[in-house]
Amino acid sequence: MQTKIISAIAGLSILLLPAVSCKKTLNEYNPSGLTAATVYTNAVGFETLVNAAYSYERYWYGKEEGFANSEMGTDLWTSGTGDASTQFVKYDNLQGSTVDGIPGTTTWTSLWGDLYGAVNLCNEGLARVGGVSDYTAAQKTLHKAELSFLRAFYYWHIVETWGGVNFTTLPTAGSQTTANRTPVDTFYRQIFADLQFAAANLPATTTDYGRVTIPVAKAFLARMYLTRGMNTEALAMATDVINNYGYSLLPKFGDLWNMGNLKNKEVIWAVDYSANLTFNDAIYYSNAAGVPQRGSNSSHLLFLMLYDKANTKPVIRDINGGRPFNRFMPTMAYLKLFDNTNDSRYEGSFQTVWKANTVATGYAIGDTAIYCTNKIIPLASQSTKYVTYDLQKVYDTITGVPSQRNYYVTLKKFKDSTRTSIAEVQSARDFFVIRLAEMYLVAAEAAFKNNDKVAAAGYLNTIRTRAALPGRVAQMQITDADVTLDFILDERARELGGEQLRWFDLKRTGKLIDRVKAMNPDAALNIQPFHVLRPIPQSQLDAVTNKSVFKQNPGYQ
Amino acid sequence: MKKNLLFFLGLLLTLSAMAQDRKITGTIVNEDTGEPLSGVSIMTQGRRVGHASGAKGDFAFMIPDKGEVVLIFTYTGFNDLTIHVGASNTLEVKMKANDKKLDEVVVIGYGTVRKRDLTGAVVSVKPEEIQKVPAGNVMESLQGKVAGVDIVRTSGLAGMKADVTVRGNRSVIAGNGPLYIVDGIQYDDYQDINANDIASMEVLKDASSTAIYGSKGANGVIIITTKKGAAGKTAIFANAYYGRSEVADYPLSMSGPQFTALKREAFRATNHWSSTADDATVFTASELAGIKNNTSTYWPGLLIKKGTQQDYGIGVSSGSEKTKVYFSFDYFRETGILKNDYSNRFSLRLNIDQTIAPSFKVGLLSQFTYYKGNSRAEGVLTVANKIKPLYLPYNPDGSIVNMPGADNQVNPLLDDVPGAYVNLTNTSRIFSTAYAEWKPVKGLTLRSNLGVVNSSSRNGFFEAANSYDGINANGSSSLSKVSNGTFVNLTWENIVTYARRFGDHNLEVTAVSSYLSNRTDSSSAKGTGQLLAGQQFYGLQNNPNNLAVFSNYVGSNLLAGTFRVNYGYKGKYLLTVTGRADGSSVLAPKNHWAFFPSVAGAWRMSDESFMTSQNLFSDLKVRASYGVSGNAAVKAYQTQSAIVLVPTEWNDQKSLAYALNLQTGNPDLKWELTGTADAGLDFGLFKDRLTGSIDFYDSKTHDLLILRQLPASSGVQKVLQNIGKTRNKGIEVSLRTENVQTTNFSWSSSVTFTSNKERITSLPDNQNDIADLLFIGSPVKSFYDYQKIGVWQSADSVLAKKIGVASGNPNAFVPGAIRVRDVYNRGKITADSDRVVVGSAVPKYSIGFSNDIRWKNFDLNIYVFARVGQTFLSSYANKFEPNAIENSAVVNYWTPENPTNDYPRPNSGFSRATMPYATTLGYKDGTFVKIRTMTLGYTLPASLARRLHVAGFRWYVSAKNYISFNKVKDYDPEGGGSFEGPLTKLLVTGLNVRF
Repeated sequence: MQTKIISAIAGLSILLLPAVSCKKTLNEYNPSGLTAATVYTNAVGFETLVNAAYSYERYWYGKEEGFANSEMGTDLWTSGTGDASTQFVKYDNLQGSTVDGIPGTTTWTSLWGDLYGAVNLCNEGLARVGGVSDYTAAQKTLHKAELSFLRAFYYWHIVETWGGVNFTTLPTAGSQTTANRTPVDTFYRQIFADLQFAAANLPATTTDYGRVTIPVAKAFLARMYLTRGMNTEALAMATDVINNYGYSLLPKFGDLWNMGNLKNKEVIWAVDYSANLTFNDAIYYSNAAGVPQRGSNSSHLLFLMLYDKANTKPVIRDINGGRPFNRFMPTMAYLKLFDNTNDSRYEGSFQTVWKANTVATGYAIGDTAIYCTNKIIPLASQSTKYVTYDLQKVYDTITGVPSQRNYYVTLKKFKDSTRTSIAEVQSARDFFVIRLAEMYLVAAEAAFKNNDKVAAAGYLNTIRTRAALPGRVAQMQITDADVTLDFILDERARELGGEQLRWFDLKRTGKLIDRVKAMNPDAALNIQPFHVLRPIPQSQLDAVTNKSVFKQNPGYQ
Repeated sequence: MKKNLLFFLGLLLTLSAMAQDRKITGTIVNEDTGEPLSGVSIMTQGRRVGHASGAKGDFAFMIPDKGEVVLIFTYTGFNDLTIHVGASNTLEVKMKANDKKLDEVVVIGYGTVRKRDLTGAVVSVKPEEIQKVPAGNVMESLQGKVAGVDIVRTSGLAGMKADVTVRGNRSVIAGNGPLYIVDGIQYDDYQDINANDIASMEVLKDASSTAIYGSKGANGVIIITTKKGAAGKTAIFANAYYGRSEVADYPLSMSGPQFTALKREAFRATNHWSSTADDATVFTASELAGIKNNTSTYWPGLLIKKGTQQDYGIGVSSGSEKTKVYFSFDYFRETGILKNDYSNRFSLRLNIDQTIAPSFKVGLLSQFTYYKGNSRAEGVLTVANKIKPLYLPYNPDGSIVNMPGADNQVNPLLDDVPGAYVNLTNTSRIFSTAYAEWKPVKGLTLRSNLGVVNSSSRNGFFEAANSYDGINANGSSSLSKVSNGTFVNLTWENIVTYARRFGDHNLEVTAVSSYLSNRTDSSSAKGTGQLLAGQQFYGLQNNPNNLAVFSNYVGSNLLAGTFRVNYGYKGKYLLTVTGRADGSSVLAPKNHWAFFPSVAGAWRMSDESFMTSQNLFSDLKVRASYGVSGNAAVKAYQTQSAIVLVPTEWNDQKSLAYALNLQTGNPDLKWELTGTADAGLDFGLFKDRLTGSIDFYDSKTHDLLILRQLPASSGVQKVLQNIGKTRNKGIEVSLRTENVQTTNFSWSSSVTFTSNKERITSLPDNQNDIADLLFIGSPVKSFYDYQKIGVWQSADSVLAKKIGVASGNPNAFVPGAIRVRDVYNRGKITADSDRVVVGSAVPKYSIGFSNDIRWKNFDLNIYVFARVGQTFLSSYANKFEPNAIENSAVVNYWTPENPTNDYPRPNSGFSRATMPYATTLGYKDGTFVKIRTMTLGYTLPASLARRLHVAGFRWYVSAKNYISFNKVKDYDPEGGGSFEGPLTKLLVTGLNVRF
């Protein structure tokens, strides 16, 4: 009997043993993970939120997805052979995405997610900034101003790309399975409120290159006023930025793109890509599971023609020449906008000559080996020594349709010979988001719309004077009679082509359809009025539970 | 110890001697092998006095010398034998191993039960079955042999595991893989286990059998028991095999002329090419050179080579009455079909059981496994299938061209160069289980199990500047990386069992308490620009650029308490009731705990008196069970909303940035629950010439754990939620027949048939979750797309145009373009209406058919496996490049002169990615029937073996995957459709020797 009792006690007690520390055992211990509630509540932690809020600009600027949305499908560019997302240019196949996704849709899917991720982080910060324990009131206001600016900046990308889609100023709590449709005006009301707050509360200068300041907020506000047709305000804001913050146009247009001179007086706001690729969240260094890497500037790849195949013996691929992805080529009409003899911006923007960089029969290193031009050179007078791609060898000179898409005049603004190898896709080149020249063009357009053509011509002439080739300033001057909306757009194309503004310029001026039809035969085939908005990614439409409310933009299936 | 034995024998003799009876002596051997059988129970009829045979099969005891003496010999796994002892006092007993193993002991959760007393759906696999087919891991050798278990090996890369599912996929995000229990302890790394160490393997399928494992067992349980030492003669087992493998089937990419024709057609379609005169405008200079020189490089062929598989092992079983030892060593090496793809496994096992006192036993079962392997970069063959055939891989001096044809594609052969790409993983894993077992009073067993799994692995990774990724992704810079991980899994379980028989009532109660913890600590460091390539991943501090470090910790705990009651009445009416409560740390605190009850009953009809008059059924049992199980096999910390580091800077100085993660935490996370009903029938017919079982089951899962896609407009994109329901209904049949059984010739067959209908029955708001590819009425793993019905033909151009305009996409609806089904005949194709479930990766049914033929000393096994009705996404079928920007699969494409419905017209205006409906090309019927293995063996006759001083000697050759029938050309669809890791066929020869 005694044995039995002992056995029973032993049995019961061994069963109870593992359960002794029951409660604590099931607590989740997560020392390597961090949560918003533990980090964003003090000054050091909140700083990391603000820094992160900036980082989302890197998804758009200097990235193929950003170019696809801001430059493709405009009057300036069409597809090179390497273009993997021709639908942006051709305005076809913009719907009917499959689940696996086509790159066009993937582009929108990722940008949609990135931009709303940015907005949500700004909302999170704005909701939390008041509660940061060790901030002074001034610090709270400062960071509120920064986040307000960034929210406005990201919402602008959203509303201009997709129109009146989802809008909120509150951070998402829990799992939000619906989305709303909010009028465009509501977006802009918030954008203006945020920017005005930012302009009033940001510091005038910063030691952190790339952080926003009063002039950045004002410059962007100028762009926004212009966008909404508030021309007087736009003009006032632009001239304020031009006159009062110490910016100046560089003497030579071409110097803007020197890798050694990127942080210059003309730049109002840039995405500051670092030469230390680790800091750019380059693709092979990120560790955040599921969060797409931002990476460095990759625009140097996109506009380059296949120079290493155009004349293969004397010209081989090298670091200076770059890695040609051959994605985007200029339209014939774009090239024809340039007055080669007077305007430095043709040579300043485009590479037209490739020189022998390896020893080959008939060539010394440095001899011209490939020549591209925006002119027609009669066959008889073409050089026999080097390969010529004149206008008729690249385009059907009547229709403007490219006859081949491998070899062409190449936009060189983003080339980077400081990369460490030929194959390096990551470039440390800063991306200019706003530079002073744009302010002159904003002022000119605002003045023009206020019927002050004289003032408009004045602003344009400032730009054109700087652009003039040596001794050609006079030839570059225009008069108020020359100023038309199309002229302003032409001038913008000459000055800002490729700088991720074109789509917005054409939308703002209502000229998208007309100019595409006139200048870009590839895009002209299919473009329709509804294309002023991009299609909402299918994944968003698939995921919302209020499918009857949150629908695709009109025209897209 | 010997002393004790002598004393014991002496005592017996003394006791017996008092009656002055006759002494019976003899030996017992296995009739088939001649091996002595120790531990055979010997009873005298009527007296119920038991004896047992000794280590050498010998026995000696006294019995009263009156009347007829009848001895009954019983031994697990052997037919009972009744001997009427005549005048002779010396017996030569031969016992025959039985195939009907109703009395065989089957391992179930926390205990064993005789097969006859089973109430649940449990399949026991004999070790011979596992060892018959040489395979890289034990689960692969089980393929098709257990009804209801779907096992596929989807990759031919060295050292890859197989995918195992028991009775379909219930879960979406939570694990669907079964629980592996090795010697009582959870051990998921089944690939470590040396097949020759296995004493038995059991598959628990229904909820009643798995209920005792609670949450962990929701997807079936596979119990592996390793060999133990045995008292008596030392037995030594030696095994060796060697085999060559080669790719079973691999489709060709286009040759030079085929590619040239494709590109010409692509530009003809856009009016840029009309004759070879236009070649100069269409082709690049390097392509033209290739055409001129008739270059036609088959790139995959340059990479793919033959592989090997080999295994050498030795096992020793020995022991005395009190100490029993089994130990083994095994070396397995596999080389894959790519250079530098190899895996080496060294495994050592030591099992010791020590009896300390008659009622107290302890033991230690230990396994050490060490892996050393190198694997190749994912995607090498994908690149080989892209790169154009018009380019040459090597320079005239024999060096590798980095970028063939100066095109954008980097040469995949670069990684074949020794030292260019290193991805070396060393893993050592110790799996050790200690137990103590005390039987204080009759029927009561107290046992404590402590199991530790400690796994450390080190991955050294190096991509030289001149490797594929070095050039392609890293900007011609080297990348070095070292990752270290330590995984510790601690299990502590205490088990109390009380078994008692009261007259006709048989009762067994088991109670268990468990504590399980998992900890993973990992760290890695990397850098770029290693100065000397020879340093590889060593000396990371010498990397000049981009040094970065990471470390991570993941831990989770599980607590559980369980009881089970087995009750039997007269051995005919059987009942099992189980309850288990589980607490898991990975769920929300308020939902940590859940209770999982189950009940099962069985009726052994063949034991009823009314069955004694018939001869048809030798065995008949009906079973039924219902139980609830849970699943929380999700990653830790998903109740928390994490923030993630974003590398960023100000003024080129690193600055800290944390952004919100794309996945948000769910503070309501709870158990996913499955209720399963099972009805089964076990039978034996014609004196067990035909045996088998049939099971029907229906399992319903609710509160499904789904990593739900959220609208990205919320700023977060995913959340783990409990939503939706699935249902799996199925039938499983296994049959075994003894077709012929004579002395010199025997033939037996076994068939397994599994049909499982898996479907989602409910989702939130009663609507399909397209974002997550979940569709009500369809299996969890479904493909959703437009349905290709052909190619638009010239005759239909008017209709095509009309639909194209209505669909807003006129260019996609021209002759030569892919034609998809207009599901609702609305005259237009749209994403919201015309996408449908076009197939599922889940088979409709699968069949295994195995034949064992023995003729004299030869044995032949032919095993056929079929998997029917699944769809797979073929990378090859998808590899059609309309603009010839990359090489393409050899396909029959549309041209005005060749109006096929197979593939669309090449078109330089579209890339594969932008061509509308291009993804519809990839779905293929994955049905296959294959002779998985054919094995021919020869066993030395016992007499000859004895002369060679061996107890047994078998030599065999085995051919694996040599013959298969399927609906896709040149590809084994079991491989899942990827260009990478194609499945191999294997020819192996080996030896099994026993001493």
